[in-house]
Amino acid sequence: MSYCFNIAICLVLVILQTTVMPYLSLLDRFYDLLIPFIVYLGLSRPVREGLLFVCFLGFIMDNLSGSPFGLYLTSYFWLFSGVKGITQLLQVGKRMFVITFIVACGVLAENLIFLGSFAIYSTEQQFAGGAFNVVAVQVLWALLTGAVLLIIFRNTHIWLDTGFRAFWASRSE
Amino acid sequence: MFPRKIVLIVGVIVLIAVNIIVLSVSSKRYTTFGLERIAISFISPFQELVTHTMRFTRDIWRQYFYLVTVTRQNQVLKNQLNQAIGVNNQRQETELANARLRNLLGFQKTISEMVVAAEVIGKDPSAWFKTVIIDKGKADGLTKGLPVVMPQGIAGQVIEVSNHYSKVMLIIDRNSAVDALVQRSRARGVIKGESTDRCRLDFVLRKNDVRVGDTVVSSGLDGVFPKGLRIGFVAEVIEHDADIFHEVIIAPFVDFEKLEEVLVVLAVQKHDMASRQ
Repeated sequence: MSYCFNIAICLVLVILQTTVMPYLSLLDRFYDLLIPFIVYLGLSRPVREGLLFVCFLGFIMDNLSGSPFGLYLTSYFWLFSGVKGITQLLQVGKRMFVITFIVACGVLAENLIFLGSFAIYSTEQQFAGGAFNVVAVQVLWALLTGAVLLIIFRNTHIWLDTGFRAFWASRSE
Repeated sequence: MFPRKIVLIVGVIVLIAVNIIVLSVSSKRYTTFGLERIAISFISPFQELVTHTMRFTRDIWRQYFYLVTVTRQNQVLKNQLNQAIGVNNQRQETELANARLRNLLGFQKTISEMVVAAEVIGKDPSAWFKTVIIDKGKADGLTKGLPVVMPQGIAGQVIEVSNHYSKVMLIIDRNSAVDALVQRSRARGVIKGESTDRCRLDFVLRKNDVRVGDTVVSSGLDGVFPKGLRIGFVAEVIEHDADIFHEVIIAPFVDFEKLEEVLVVLAVQKHDMASRQ
């Protein structure tokens, strides 16, 4: 059930990000929608399940994007690991403030990994003047909507899981 | 043997090192492992479906719903007005489509190479890279490296091909480079993307004459783009005292935000022209 849910969410988010959002001018500089999902995997799912989808999403995004292969994989992996690490130190639970902060940090971390890779591996200085603006707008969006998305993922999963169990229980009776 | 903490720290350091090495290898040039086709083939049909649905919905929104508003305001003439405007809109839409296709066809005739028209079905998920997915692939004769153009000018280059879909790197992508000429003065340079809506024309010597408003065309020397295709116009020329090159900012003719249909120029020599005639 969890795996089916995760696959469906991955597919919906990737499609949304590559087809719908680029055409909406308001969401022109929206952050990577998969970040709240990765954070959700880190907070609520076991390592084995989470890692599988982190690799799957990283692979898909690396191939759909023009980025060097492994950049998304790197971002997602370290984000997932970071969230798992945080859960060892902090009791995140349902605290909105902490969740919002983690998602915003995730967006910032992904952008820093991207910019870092440009700085290290690019042979010439190619930083666009608007890089800071892009990152700032994305973090702002994450602060406004990140926690909401994460809670939607979590609640939908719980709702589907409960419904699925109830359905099987009623059938077995 | 070793404390768990040390093993963990060493493991993380090794992982980071491996990560940096892998990224540095793949960043040197656009590397492909053959697995890209699987990902594109897996996702692109859904992208195509959603894109077509979106365009269909948008057309309905633009052409139909506002008519409903008009009919509500004009109760007396409801039926007549609906029919008249509906027919008129259909005609307008047909005319627009006709003009667009004629434009494409006209452009097709101006370039000597064979071309394949393709539709953009997906865009790059990242703000830092500029690529698009098109609905034509190997089955339509596309191969890696083919130039992608628009009636307005050069759009990009095919960088990945699956059976029915391809990935195109736009000229505004930071990894893109196109050998170019300033049309008026014949000053040569390389158009490089910046992942914004502008490009730079690099390596133009200061002795060369470049002015704001000059048109920049492809030189054909990169072996990818046919010579003489329009790229953009000079938006800004910045002079640095200690530099031997001009810093030239180019505004592309193609509006990449509204990219819907493109033409892929097939390499003439790779096709049996005789068999098609």
